[in-house]
Formats: sequence, structure tokens, C-alpha cells
Amino acid sequence: MKGLLAGQGFRYVLLCFVAAASLPLAGCWNRTEVNDLALVTGAAIDLAEGKMIELSVQVFIPRTGGGQQAMGGGGGGGGGGAGGGAQTLVRSGRGATIAEAMSKLQEKFPRKLFWGHTDVFIIGESLAKQGIRDQVDFLMRFPQTRERAAMFVSEGEAKKTLGFHPPLERSSAEVLREMSKSRLSMDVDLKKLAQMLSGGAGAAALPWVEMLPPEKGQMTKQSIPYVYGVGVFKKDRLVGQLDDIMTRGVLWVRDEIVKETVITITPQGTEGYVSFNLESSTTNVVPEIRDNKWSVTINIETNENLIQNATRLDVMSMKVNDSLERQLEEEIRHRVEEACSHAKEMGTDIFDFADDFHRKYPKQWNSVKAHWEDKFASLEINVATRVKIRRPGSTTSTGANRPQDEVEKP
Amino acid sequence: MRFLRIILGLKEWSNRKQTMQQGAQAPSGQDFLAPDLQTNEQVLRSQYANCADVVFRDIAIAGSTKALLLYIEGLSNTVEIDQSVLAMLMEKGLVSSDVKTLLQQKVAVSNIKEVTTFTETIQHVSVGNPILLIDGQNRGLALGLSKWEKRSIEEPTAEAVIRGPREGFTESIGVNTSLLRRKIRSPKLKMQSMTVGTYTQTRIMIAYIEGLADDTVLQEVMNRLERIDIDGVLESGYIEEMIEDYPFSPFPQILNTERPDVAASGLLEGRVVILVDGTPFALVAPVTLYSMLQSAEDYYQRFLIGSTIRWLRYLFFLIALLMPSIYVAILTFHQEMIPTTLLLSIAKSREEIPFPALVEAILMEVSFEALREAGVRLPKQVGAAVSIVGALVIGEAATSAGLVSAPMVMVVALTGIASFTIPRYATGIAIRMIRFPVMFLAGTLGLLGIMLGLIVIIIHLCTIRSFGVPYLSPMGPMKARDMKDVLLRAPWWSLNTRPHLIGDNNPYRQSRGNKPDSNKGSE
Amino acid sequence: MIEKGKISALQMAMLTNPTILATAILSAPAITAKLAEHDMWLSPVWASLAGIAAVYLAWGLNKLYPAESIIDISVRIAGRAAGKLLGFVYLFFYLHVNGIIVREYGEFVVGSFLTKTPLGIVIASIVAVSAFAVYGGVEVLGRCAQIMVPVVVLLFIVIIILLFPDLNPENMLPFMEKGIKSSFMGALVPQGWFSEYFVMTFLLPLVADRAKAPKWGVISAMSVMFILVIGNITTLMLFGDITGTLTYPVLIAARYISLADFFEHVESIVMAIWVTGMFIKISVFYYILALGTAQWLKLSDFRPLVLPLGLCLASFGVWAAPNSEKLLHDLGTTIPFYLSAVQVVIPLLLLLIALLKQKLRRQNGG
Repeated sequence: MKGLLAGQGFRYVLLCFVAAASLPLAGCWNRTEVNDLALVTGAAIDLAEGKMIELSVQVFIPRTGGGQQAMGGGGGGGGGGAGGGAQTLVRSGRGATIAEAMSKLQEKFPRKLFWGHTDVFIIGESLAKQGIRDQVDFLMRFPQTRERAAMFVSEGEAKKTLGFHPPLERSSAEVLREMSKSRLSMDVDLKKLAQMLSGGAGAAALPWVEMLPPEKGQMTKQSIPYVYGVGVFKKDRLVGQLDDIMTRGVLWVRDEIVKETVITITPQGTEGYVSFNLESSTTNVVPEIRDNKWSVTINIETNENLIQNATRLDVMSMKVNDSLERQLEEEIRHRVEEACSHAKEMGTDIFDFADDFHRKYPKQWNSVKAHWEDKFASLEINVATRVKIRRPGSTTSTGANRPQDEVEKP
Repeated sequence: MRFLRIILGLKEWSNRKQTMQQGAQAPSGQDFLAPDLQTNEQVLRSQYANCADVVFRDIAIAGSTKALLLYIEGLSNTVEIDQSVLAMLMEKGLVSSDVKTLLQQKVAVSNIKEVTTFTETIQHVSVGNPILLIDGQNRGLALGLSKWEKRSIEEPTAEAVIRGPREGFTESIGVNTSLLRRKIRSPKLKMQSMTVGTYTQTRIMIAYIEGLADDTVLQEVMNRLERIDIDGVLESGYIEEMIEDYPFSPFPQILNTERPDVAASGLLEGRVVILVDGTPFALVAPVTLYSMLQSAEDYYQRFLIGSTIRWLRYLFFLIALLMPSIYVAILTFHQEMIPTTLLLSIAKSREEIPFPALVEAILMEVSFEALREAGVRLPKQVGAAVSIVGALVIGEAATSAGLVSAPMVMVVALTGIASFTIPRYATGIAIRMIRFPVMFLAGTLGLLGIMLGLIVIIIHLCTIRSFGVPYLSPMGPMKARDMKDVLLRAPWWSLNTRPHLIGDNNPYRQSRGNKPDSNKGSE
Repeated sequence: MIEKGKISALQMAMLTNPTILATAILSAPAITAKLAEHDMWLSPVWASLAGIAAVYLAWGLNKLYPAESIIDISVRIAGRAAGKLLGFVYLFFYLHVNGIIVREYGEFVVGSFLTKTPLGIVIASIVAVSAFAVYGGVEVLGRCAQIMVPVVVLLFIVIIILLFPDLNPENMLPFMEKGIKSSFMGALVPQGWFSEYFVMTFLLPLVADRAKAPKWGVISAMSVMFILVIGNITTLMLFGDITGTLTYPVLIAARYISLADFFEHVESIVMAIWVTGMFIKISVFYYILALGTAQWLKLSDFRPLVLPLGLCLASFGVWAAPNSEKLLHDLGTTIPFYLSAVQVVIPLLLLLIALLKQKLRRQNGG
């Protein structure tokens, strides 16, 4: 008898029963079914009247097919299912902080807002001009948000970008995410933004979003937002904007330029254009302090592939090749210098030269830390570029489009 | 006082003692055979009163000496009895001398034993050996002419292999021992016989290889077997439950097999095999969890195949244990872990489902288990129909009726398949059983619950032993040398050592340098 | 002997490794980053010296009294009354520290995973699981550690490898910006954790191959140091200056992993590592608490103490701190010194007294 009831084995069984059976009875504290969640795919943060923060979310509608119409309006107004295939809806809420706006927004949803899949945050222009530090604090602190979520700053009201129903992708947030991944502009996620805001350079840059005007005959709602250049922040305030070309310059300095970037030049002494495709590129920034004179040298080494030759040049000749390489170097240097001078004008060190100095000259850095902005303005920036053209593509010399006798022989 | 006795069941136990004495042992008083035949016959006839299948044949040896031949119909080879015994003994002109001479000269039977007591006599009769009692002798002859209808050796159905021997144990212990002996011809293979079961008098054989099997383990096996006091043993499962270390553990601590090759490989590793008469399932002990996850074929296929399959099996072992729980936990607690696109499609498919994920999972798993059980129990033709109907009902109809989501059907199906990759049926059942509490934990605490469940399972596995061998060895306690047969199936030319703690008596299996090398021969 | 089981020196190393590592790995990067900044990866190296000191203190005491733990040793050295008092101090210390550990575990789970689950349930569940293991005795604990630790280390390495594409080695510079002092300062908190290696005083009498024990103890401490250095380097390379501002940098790092858009948000791996490590840590402390109490009370078995002590433990976990901020504050300020005072300073004094006594005795005798 005793053996049966007091045996160790019986206790095991008892323990298993207690563990398995009693816990669900006590209640399932954190359990949320997917049916009870509203999946936020993207969020926009704007400045509303009276210094209020307006938080708009794009929520995925799990039902498909035309029968279910997304509900428009609601609270702060905003988008809704105009088209039959609308898969998302947009609603907004207001509050003094994002946190408050979020709770206001929750009141307008029958389901629990779920931020674990929010891949895109867009900050409106007016809010960006006011400063974004406090908003980033919330996003970093809130346990549900992803540190890898892509950050954008938009022209005008950010909420508008969420309201579109892009024909190709599931939602406009998805469009922006894919665009940021292709990295034609800067790719800044929440973690990187936090690092920029706390870095010594006191500057940040976020991809700049504009609306693509709809093609003729398309519904207005089918337009998509797209990324054009970067918005530049001084401390945490938006102070200016760099266009696409200059953004490339910035990317070159930050060593973030990616494959498939196309550069077109007009070679000297002939008509037409030659286009190149970036194969690989490395950038090395060397800070230097000599006689109390601060300077940086940006060494860019690039490999390019020729992809289009719209001139009569024989690109297979070594001589032409050499001269094309020199001209490419010049072109890249020009772009980089332009970006640098623009940044200097705005007084924002978006290249993070500050950290380069900090690493190499920690002592000197500490003395200028407080007024780095002035130092940056007077910083001497040298650009050294080296370009190698690697391959001419699938055709040789001039290509298959021109009789051989029309080719200019060097 | 009486009340207390009834409650404690003491009354029943004392009753049991009486019946045991009556039933099992020979008549009270003298057990030895009497010198005169009439007394012996009387005693035996009274023992076998109302046993219509017992044949008493009075004969006269050489026409004069009275004798009695006793056997049970259907258990003895009557043709042989007629030809080799009766014909010889009834021959005219035979000089009846003492039993020994008769035995040596006249009876053309190879296996003859002398019996001196009634108990022995009855034992021999009951296993089919005819007994010859001769007047004036206080001993009888047990003739080894037992023969009864038995199933022929067939391919084992529970442990199928693609490559490997096709023969399986049968219900007859004699056949089974012969199968083992045919694989291990050395006289070092010892077989000790024992009888268990008051009424069934079941023969069991403890087989081991002298010098390989651990003496303390062997002694422990013997001791535990001797302690058994039970009415009857109809299957080796009775024995298994009576001698295992942790009866409350869901994990089997003794391996059962239908395959002589598995038993033989166990013997060669230093394990002890227990054969039980009347069942094709032999018991192998001591074992570890890993031997429960191994199939005989692992060792027959080339080692790369064996290792790959073993890894696959480990993976599916985990899937069988955890898959539905992880699905429930992620879907109800950690939605952020699912890739966005996948979550959106799951959200779409779950939109109309009325049940919470946990209920859905339990519903599906229970119906799957019911289907499986029904499939095993039903006759083959009906079984196929049941599984088809079940698959249709659970898979198609339930999904389209919006009762169950399609991803859940996939999860349950995969879990089902995974649990069938475990080669040992009993282990598979254990895993399926544990799956349910883990699912509850997953539905309560999410992945944390699963982790806690896993930890409890590991603690339990670390606690239990099989005849003194830790269940998780060689991983806990760690023995790097033995990993070669756990993490992978090392090639035969490098499986040089027997498992630690099991084959320590004689750790080396083979000499080193067995690795094939085409250059070796030329030297 | 109250415990009949034996463990190998390797098992002891595997038991003590997560005992130190489990709490350290999550919060070490943040705490050291605050003080040591870019040199945070050096801090564990200095801190591990305390661990090695604790190992040798435990070994030194054990060499004098091979079959006894600090509970009996203190009676031998300091006399009956003072020794018993000291033993009580140790028992209370381990109960209190284990309460803090349980609370840390609870705060992490509730703060990062199960935000709405009551703290009491989370604490009770891990204490129940640990009680189950402690019940099995030291052999079961040793085997559990042997099964779990390799898996945990493997998972940790997987996380680090998956983070490779996002690492920026430049974040490690400038090296020794403020001299070696800042990395020493960063080591102050981790040295408290490392001093927990003194728990070996309870395990050493149970080790079968005693000769190997100090070697494995040091290997264990070095492996903890090594893993902490790797963890610190990874988080530093990933987060740079903001490492110090995150509560659990390793957790955020795991969340940051993204592989082919499919394999992302793997913080649950960190949770698995943490829960497993914490389970071993809590079990070890729980076990020595039960064993020590049995030794102190001269009982013949520690098992009857497991359940009542478990209740105490869960209550201490709930009482350990009023809230998460206070707990984190204490962990970063007073607790490390509390740990090293009891586990390094007192044993050191005991060892010195014992050696002195021995010398005096020898002089008197000779």
C-alpha cells in the first residue's frame, strides 16, 4: 500500500497532472488568438493641431474577396476600402505622446493591435521638423516593435502614404519595405536611427518618401509611395533634403552603395552616353589631424561593368578603357564632393566622420565634441577614387548594333 | 479487525496462498513416485480428473511388465510414440530388466530424462513429453517427444526492414532459442531456464553471453524474475511490468523485439535477453533511450545511410513530441515569430474557425489517435476503409466546414507521420502520450511552457535507469567514446567498443585497423 | 554522507558553468557597457579572476576537509557556536541570493515574453521544476547539465553566427580610450557573479575524480569568461554606443536577426537558452540550500527539506525587490559586493585561520 501511494513514480504522475491540468484552468493570461489580432503592417506618425501626435496605422484585413468592404472613416478619418480588393485599412488616433495616441487608436479597433509585424514607420514632414527623439524613444522601448523596422520621412503628411492600394504589393507599407531593401536610397532601420541619434555626429538621415502620381487611367488610390533621396536631420530635426543623385554620393561615402547602381557619363570627344553598372565598391575613410588641421580622405575603390555603349567608341581598346575609367573616377568624385558640400551647408555630418575621428583620435575628439558642428564645417574633405572597368557585357567592342566601319578607332 | 483486513486486501491475499498450494504443487504428503504403479496411476488420475485430453495408456512391456504411458493429446508426437516406444517395448521376447537398460537399448528416443517426483512428472506431461511409468520402479521416464502445432517462422510484422533477415520469433520458445543459437553458435551463449506463473507454468529463458554480460545486471535480472509471483504469464509484457525499474515512467525501460537479429545484437553488446514461451516478443535489457530510437536496419545499411536515417529519426522524434505544441504556442503567444506573409495566410485561414488554437489542436490530435487505434484493431480490409473515411472527414470535410484550419491539419498529419518514424511502438506511444500535457503547457505559458515541459521530461529521463544503466547514457553521464553509435552510426570498422556500462566486462569488440584499404593486401 | 550520488569533475564544471553564465549573459553587456564603454569586452577577463579565486578557495578548504562543505568546515575552523552561526549565514545567504535569481528570471519572462502573466505563477513554475530536479539528487542534476549545456552553448553560437552580417567591428574602437581603469570598473559587477563559483564547496565532496576537480573548475570559469567576452563583443559590434541603454542587449540582438526574410525574431532561442541556464542555476543553488540545511541540522536526508525550502524560495523571489527597477539597480550596485563578501572574503579568512591553526599545531607538535 505504502509503496503504491508514496512511491516516487506516483509523485511524478501527480506532478505531471498538476502541471498539465491545473494551469489552463487558472486562466491563459497572455493567450491571444490570431482571430483577435489586428496586424499592423505600417504606421505613420504625424503632427496634428495643437502639438498633438497623430498615429495612423495600416491594418491588414484577413478576409479576401470583394464581399467584405473595409470600413472607412472612424475617428481621425483616413483611408479605407475604396477598391474591391482592398486588403488594408487605415485609422488614426491622437494624443500628446505616441503611447497615448496608440491607446486612443486601440479604442477604435475591435481587435487588439499587434505591432510585431510592423515593418515600416513613416514620420511626417511637420513632425520631423519638430524633432523625432521622443518618438524614437517610445519605439525602442515598446517591446513589440521590431528593431529592424524600416524608418522613413515623408513629404507632407505621412498618413497619406498608407492610404494607397498598390496594384503589385499587398500594401503600401510593403512597397516601402521592398524599396528600402533594394537600397537605392539609404536603408535605415529603427536600431540604426537610434544609433545615429545618439552618435557623436549629431546628425541623421532617413529615406525621403514621395507619392508617385498615378498613371493616366489608373485610380488615384492605386498610386504608390516611392523613395526619393534622403531627408537630413540635424540633431533630431529635419533640416533639409538631398536628391537621388546626391544620396548616391552619401551612400558612397558611407560605403553603403550597392550593386546594380547605374552611372552614366558622356565621354569626352564623342557624342552619346556610356552607362556602367556597379559591380563592387569599397570605401575607406581616413581621418587625419595635422598641425591642428582636421581633414578626411575618402578612398573609394570601385569595379564597374559596362552595360550600354551609345557612342562610337571602341570600348575594347585599352586606351578608351583607360580614359573611361578616368572619367568615371571624375564623375564619382564630383558626386561625392557635391554631397559633402551640401552636407556642410546644412551643417550635418551624415557621413559620421565624427566617429572616425573619435576612433582614431579619442583625445582630440573629446576636446571638440561639444562644437563638432563648427569643426565639421571647416573640415577639409579629400576624395580619391579608383575605378576599374571589369567586363564589357555580352557583346564586344562597340556592340552588335553598329557596322564595324562606324567605330571610332583610337 | 476483519474490516481492516478486507480493506487492506489481506483476506484476498491469504486466499491466494491456498489456491496456489492446491493448484501448483503436487498432492500434499509425499511427492516422490511410489515403487508400485497402481498408486502412481491413482495419484495421477486424481490430478488429471476431468481432463479429457490426457491419455492414460496401459501397456505391458515385453508382454509381462505392466507400464503406463501418459501424455496429453495434441502435445506429443503420437507417430513417434507408436513407432519408437510402443512398437519397441511391446516386442515379444524382450527381457525386462531395470529402467536404465531399457532406456539404453530399446527406446529409440534421443531425449530421455528420468523423473522421480510427481511434480516433475506433471511438468513434463504439461509440456508434451510423454511419461513412461513402469511397475516396480519408483522413477519414470520422460520421453522428449513433444510436438504441437505451431506457427511457422514468418517475417516480423511490427519491425519491418528493407535490408536484413526476414525471420521472426514465434510463439514457441524452443524455436526462439534455436533462432538465437543459430546466430550465436559459441557455447558462451548461455540460456537459463525458469518457470513463472502458478497456473500457466510458462517457461522463460534468460539468454546472455558469458563474459560479456555484466554479472550484477544478470544477477539483478535473475533476482527480479525470481521474485515474480503471478497466476499466469500470457505475454512478455507481464514480465516487463514486473521487473522494470520505474513502473510509472511513460518510457519503456526494457526493449521488446520480434527479431532474433536484434536480440542477438543485444547479446553481443552484453545485454540480457529474456525469452518467454507463448509470445514472439523477447525482452532485451538494459537499454537506453537511444536504443529505443534505433532500428535494426541502421546497422545493415551502409553507415552514411544509417547515420542520415538516424538523424532524420531524431528530428522527427522532436517533431512528434513538440510540433503541435510549438504551433499552438507561436500562434497564440508569439505571433511575431511567424514570417509576415505566412502569418497573413494563417490569419486568413483561421478567420472563420470557432475554436481557440489549443482546442483545435487537441481535437485534431485526439481524433488522429482514435483513427490510428481503430486502424490497428480492425480487420485489414475494414481498417483501410476507416483510414480513408477518417482522412476525408478530418482533412477535407472539417476544413471546408470551417471547423479546423488547413495549417492545423498539416501539423497534425506531420506529427502523425513523425510518430511513426520511431521504430519502437512503445516509445512512439510514450511520445504521443507526453505530447498532450506539453500542449496544455504551450497553451498556458507559450514557448516558456514548452521549455518547462521539456526540462521536466529531461529531468525524468535523467532520473530513470534500466537495470542500473542511466537511461540517457552515453549523453548523461557523458561518455565520448559511445557517441559514435548515438550521434551517428559509425562504420562497422570503427565500432570497436561495446557500450559503456553495458559491455564493460569485455569492452573491445574487434581489433583495430579493420578499415578497408586497397593497398593493404599487396604488402 | 547525506548525498549518496557522485558526479564527475566534468559534470561539476558543466553544473557551475550555467550557474554563473545564466544571469550574466543577458545583462552583462548592458551593465559593463555603462562603465567600460568600448572596452566592455575586457571586463569579463578581469572579472573571471574573482571566479578563479573562488574556485581555489573552495578547493583549498576542500583539501583540508575533503568530505565536508562550508557548513561543516566553518564549525571545524571557527568552533561550534561561531561555526554554526556562520553556517546559518551561508544558508540564509544562499536562500536570499536564490530568491534574487528567481526574481530576475521572473522579471525577464514577465517583462519580455508573458507580459500579462502573474509573476507568482512564473516563479512558482520554475521553482516546481527545479524542486523536481533537486529531488533526484546531484547525479540527476549533473546529467541534466551534461545534456543541456552543450545544447545551450550551441544555440548561443548559432545566434552569434546569424548576427555576423550585421556586425560592425569599428564599434570596438577606440581601444582603452580612458585607460585600463574603465574596463576594471566594468568588471566590478561581473566579479560578483563570478564569485558564485564558491558553490563548488558543496559539490567538491561529491566529485568522484577529485584530482581533476580544480582543473575543471578553472576550465569552467574560463569558458564562462570566454562566452561573456564573445557576447560582449557581439553586442558592442552590433549596437555600438547604445548597448548600455538596452535592458537585455543579447535579447534585442537575437530579435535583430533576419535571415532571408523567413528566419527572424528568434528571441525565443534566447528565451530557451536563458530558461535552461536559469533552471540549472536555480537548481544548483536550491540543491546546495537543501543539502546545506540538512548538513546544518545533521539530518540523514535532504529530500524532506525540498518542498518547504521551495516555498521559502518562491516567497523570497516575490519579496526580493519591490519592482524591476529596484532589482536592476541593486544588481548593478550593492549585490555584487554582497556576493563577493560572502563568497570570497569570508572563505579567505576561514582558509587563513585554518592554515594558521595547522601551522601552529605543527609547530607545537614538532
